[in-house]
Amino acid sequence: MGFSANGKQCLLPEEALYLMECGNLQVFHQDLPLSIQDGYEKFLSANTVSLQQYQVFGHLKRLGYVVLRFDPSSESSSYARQLNLPQSRDRAGRQLKRKRSLSPAPSSTPTMEEDKCSEGEEDIKLPEPPEAQSSADEGGGRSWWMMDVLGDSDKDSGHGSKSGSSCWDFSSISFPDLGSTSREHFPSDLAPPDPSLLPGDLKVGFCDIAPWRQKINLRQVKMSANEQKREKYRRRWDVNKNREVRRCRNWAEYQELMARRKGKREGRPAHLWNREVTPLHDPTQPIKQSHRSLVSLTIKDDLVLCPLRLKDADDWRICFNVYQPNTVADFKKSNPGKPYSRMCVCSFDDPVPDLRAIKLLAYQSGDIPVVIAVVDYGDISFYTFKDFQLPTDVYP
Amino acid sequence: MEALSCGERRLGSEEEYAAPAVGVSLCDSAPLVWRMQDLRAVRAEGLVGALLGSLPRTPRQNGRLGRPLLLLPEEEGLLRERRAAAALPDRCQQDWGGAELRQKHEEEEKRSFEEQSVLALEDRKLALLRAMTGAESGATSADEALRRRLQALDQNFTFPQSAMAVQLSTARAGLSYCPEARAFLQAYGPPGAEPRCDARYQVFRDLRGRGFYLTSAGKFGGDFLVYPGDPLRFHAHFIAVCVSLDESVCLLDVLAVARLGSNVKKTVLLCSPGPDARVCYTSLQWSGMI
Repeated sequence: MGFSANGKQCLLPEEALYLMECGNLQVFHQDLPLSIQDGYEKFLSANTVSLQQYQVFGHLKRLGYVVLRFDPSSESSSYARQLNLPQSRDRAGRQLKRKRSLSPAPSSTPTMEEDKCSEGEEDIKLPEPPEAQSSADEGGGRSWWMMDVLGDSDKDSGHGSKSGSSCWDFSSISFPDLGSTSREHFPSDLAPPDPSLLPGDLKVGFCDIAPWRQKINLRQVKMSANEQKREKYRRRWDVNKNREVRRCRNWAEYQELMARRKGKREGRPAHLWNREVTPLHDPTQPIKQSHRSLVSLTIKDDLVLCPLRLKDADDWRICFNVYQPNTVADFKKSNPGKPYSRMCVCSFDDPVPDLRAIKLLAYQSGDIPVVIAVVDYGDISFYTFKDFQLPTDVYP
Repeated sequence: MEALSCGERRLGSEEEYAAPAVGVSLCDSAPLVWRMQDLRAVRAEGLVGALLGSLPRTPRQNGRLGRPLLLLPEEEGLLRERRAAAALPDRCQQDWGGAELRQKHEEEEKRSFEEQSVLALEDRKLALLRAMTGAESGATSADEALRRRLQALDQNFTFPQSAMAVQLSTARAGLSYCPEARAFLQAYGPPGAEPRCDARYQVFRDLRGRGFYLTSAGKFGGDFLVYPGDPLRFHAHFIAVCVSLDESVCLLDVLAVARLGSNVKKTVLLCSPGPDARVCYTSLQWSGMI
C-alpha cells in the first residue's frame, strides 16, 4: 500500500479509508481526527474512487489480495508485445527506494545546510573527501543535491531539460589534485572541512598531503611524437560535450546509448534483431523477390480495436489490478509482476457489456483476464469472459 | 428505548409532534445511514438496507459487515413519503477545525487517557498479585513484600501517552457536540410531495404494506427478494420482477426467469402496478409435465 512522492510516504484515498476501517490508521485534518463517516464523504466521489469501486476494493482486500490502481499508460500496445519489445519501466519505479524522512525545502542556504546534516539515511554518495575549501563551494555542491531531489520528484520533465543544473559544476568544486606535478597547484596540507558539515562534535584538523604524494607515482610518461599528437587531439575532443551523453545518468544508460548508435550505424538495431521474432527484411541486404510485396506494407493498428476511436470508451474502464499476496506469488512494490486479474466495476443497473466493450477491455488488458465486478447494493458478483476455441476436427 | 419488534408500523405519525427523523447522509449520491439510533429506526420501519463497511471487531472478513447502511432508492423514497427521513448537514457547513471542536476533542482525549491509566494500574496490580501469590513462600514475608511492592507501584506507575488506545468513531461524532443534533431533525421533502410513479416503487410500497421485507435481487435476476419476515430469520420466498402491464414480455425471458427461480427454490412473482394504485401479481412455479 502507499507510494512515495516528494520524499514522503503517501496513501491513496481508498487505501487510507480501508486502513481506517481496519482500525490501523488515524487521519487528521486541521488537528481533528476524521471519523469513518467523514472519510467516506471526503475520500469517495465520482472523480476519484466511487463508492461502488471502494466496495469492490474493500471486499478484495479483506479476502487478502493486493489491489492497486490500473494505469493504462503502463501497458504496452499489442504490436509492441508482438515484437517482444522491452517494456520501458516507469521512472517512478526506480525512485521507490529513496525514502527520506525529511523532505528538504529549497528555501534558503542555511536551512538547506541543516537538512543536509540531519538527514541520516541517504543512499546518494557525497563527493568523496568533503574537503572543499569555502562555503560557496558547498553551496554549489549542495545545489546539485537539491536539483537532484527536485528532479526525482518531477518525473515528467526528464533530466534532459535540466542537464546543466543536475550535473556537478566542476568549476566551483575544487578537488585537490594530489597527483599534480606542478608545485603551485596544491598546498602542502589541506584545510579542515566546514565544521557545520561534520556530525556531532567531530573535529578534523589539517591534513598533511606529503605521505599521500609519496605513494603516488609522479614520474612523467615518455611519449613518442605520434603519441603526443594523438594525445593532443584526444584532449580536444571531449565525449562529455555531446548532448546525448550528458543526458545519460549512469553507466548502464551510456552503454545503451552506445548500443543504439552502433545499431543505427549498422542498420540492425539490437532490440529488433536479438529476439526470437526478427524483422522480415534486413535493410542492409537487398530486398528478396519473395518479400518485395510484403515490404511495401505499412503496419497500422487494428482500427476496430483502436481504443481512441470508440466513443463509449468512458463507460467501461479497468479500475484495479489484483495481485495475489506475497505468500502465493512474488509481489514487490518495485516489481509487482503480472497481475492475477484486472477489475472493472459496474452495477446491475448498467447495461450488459456488448462485444465491443468486452473486446476493448481485453485489448487494454493484454493477456490478463478481465473480471467484471457487479455491485448490487452491498452484494458483489464477479463475472469474467473466457476465450474459447471450438474444437476442430482433424482429418486423418 | 424504541421497540425492536420488527414489522410494527410506527403509530406515532398521527400525533401532533413528528417522531424524530432518521438522519440520512449522501456519499457519492448514495444514501447512507450512520448512527446507531437511525439504523434501529430504519429496521423498525421494516426496511432492511445493506451494510457496507467493515465490522469494527473483525475487520478482515466479508461474512458480516458493519455500518454504514446503504438504503435502496425505494426505501429512501418510502422514508421520505412517511416524512421520516432527514438529510444530515454536511461537515463542510459546520465549523470544522473550529476552536470549540478542537477543545472538545482534547477534553475527550484527556478523559479517555485518565480512564485508561486507572484501568492500566489496576491491571498491573492484579498481575503483580497473581505473580506474588503464585510463588511459594512464607505467609508473612510474602504479604509484607506484596504490600511494599503494591505501594511502590502506586507511587511510581505512569501510563505512557503512546500506549493509549485511541477510538476512531464510525459516525460523525461531532454531532454530539453540535446543538442542532439535540433537537429532532426536520424531515425533508415538501409537504404533500407526490409519490414516485415508478413501477418498482409502487411494487415495493405495496409489498411492504402487506408486511413483507424486501431486499435487492440483482444476483437472482429479479428486482426484489421478498421475505415473509425479517431476513435474519427467514429465507426469501419470492423473486419479484417488475413489468408494466402494457409491456410485452418475450416468452424466452419468462422461461429464463422461471428456470432461475426453480433452481434456487423460490417462486417468481411478476408484478405489474395497475392504474388504480393496485398491483397485479402473477406467480410462476415450475411444475412437472402431467
